[in-house]
Amino acid sequence: MSNNRVSRRQFLGYTLTGVGGFMAAGMLMPMIRFAVDPILQENTAGDFVLTDQAVADLSEEPVRVDFAYEQVDAWYTSEVTSSAWVYKEGDKIIALSPVCKHLGCTVNWAADPEHPTQFFCPCHAGRYEKNGQNVPGTPPLGPLDEFAVEERDGYLAIGAVKANSLI
Amino acid sequence: MYFIGKDMDQFIQQKEYVDTAIVPLLEVDLSTEGVKRSASASEYLQSLTALLEKQFKGRILLLPPISYAKKADRERIAGELGEELHAANFKHVFYLTTDAAWRTIDSLENVLWLPAIPIENMDQRFRNSVMEDQLRQVLPLFTKEWTKPS
Repeated sequence: MSNNRVSRRQFLGYTLTGVGGFMAAGMLMPMIRFAVDPILQENTAGDFVLTDQAVADLSEEPVRVDFAYEQVDAWYTSEVTSSAWVYKEGDKIIALSPVCKHLGCTVNWAADPEHPTQFFCPCHAGRYEKNGQNVPGTPPLGPLDEFAVEERDGYLAIGAVKANSLI
Repeated sequence: MYFIGKDMDQFIQQKEYVDTAIVPLLEVDLSTEGVKRSASASEYLQSLTALLEKQFKGRILLLPPISYAKKADRERIAGELGEELHAANFKHVFYLTTDAAWRTIDSLENVLWLPAIPIENMDQRFRNSVMEDQLRQVLPLFTKEWTKPS
């Protein structure tokens, strides 16, 4: 023990290096963290928007679910409200886009008293089956688009629009 | 459809389907006591017409708000606008306004006068539900006009 004496000079040297090291690390860590932040940024959400529709409340009857997200047009950010027609097919949740494939009006479920189990477009009387299939002889030329859906803690989250996968 | 370049391409191609024009009529009052009310009415009118456009995108052309001064000659505006829209072959034209002066002008058909609701102090969610409500009151007027045998 006594033959391994630490001199005052050495002791001060070690101490200052240690403390200085901690201070340098304390300063550098956040800087490195900021620098690599874009890489660590999680994008797993896939831009899903959480709605206030409980999944348990969904039934086989389509209901309208509204959701809002922020949209950036160049320098202008605005909140866009959109909606989807959501229903359950067995255990699968299906969310259809309300945008008519004819000229882009908003379609409604059972809006036409003569066809209570179809989507109806009020503009030019376009009709779609419950799965989004367009009824031949009406103006629309394709089926309604579908939204990607996810369940999060019992609530419905709506994602990107994709082509109808039911038909 | 909005009165923007992109939508006009579609409008020209699909003219047979887009047979209805919506014209918002907007009084601009810049006096100290009236400016707030006027701006608020403008906000309301533009939210409502934007919702209408969303609902009926494929059948209506939403014109930009026609703005005029307090003392503007409404008869003259009505005449000129009516002529232009008639020449463009719109089958149905709706004028939406919060300005009560239009109620006495008989040369225009389908003037929908709506009392403006001040929506600027509402939070987003409440505002949406109020505007949806307003929309629901206006929608039947459109479908009724469209299904009316001409």
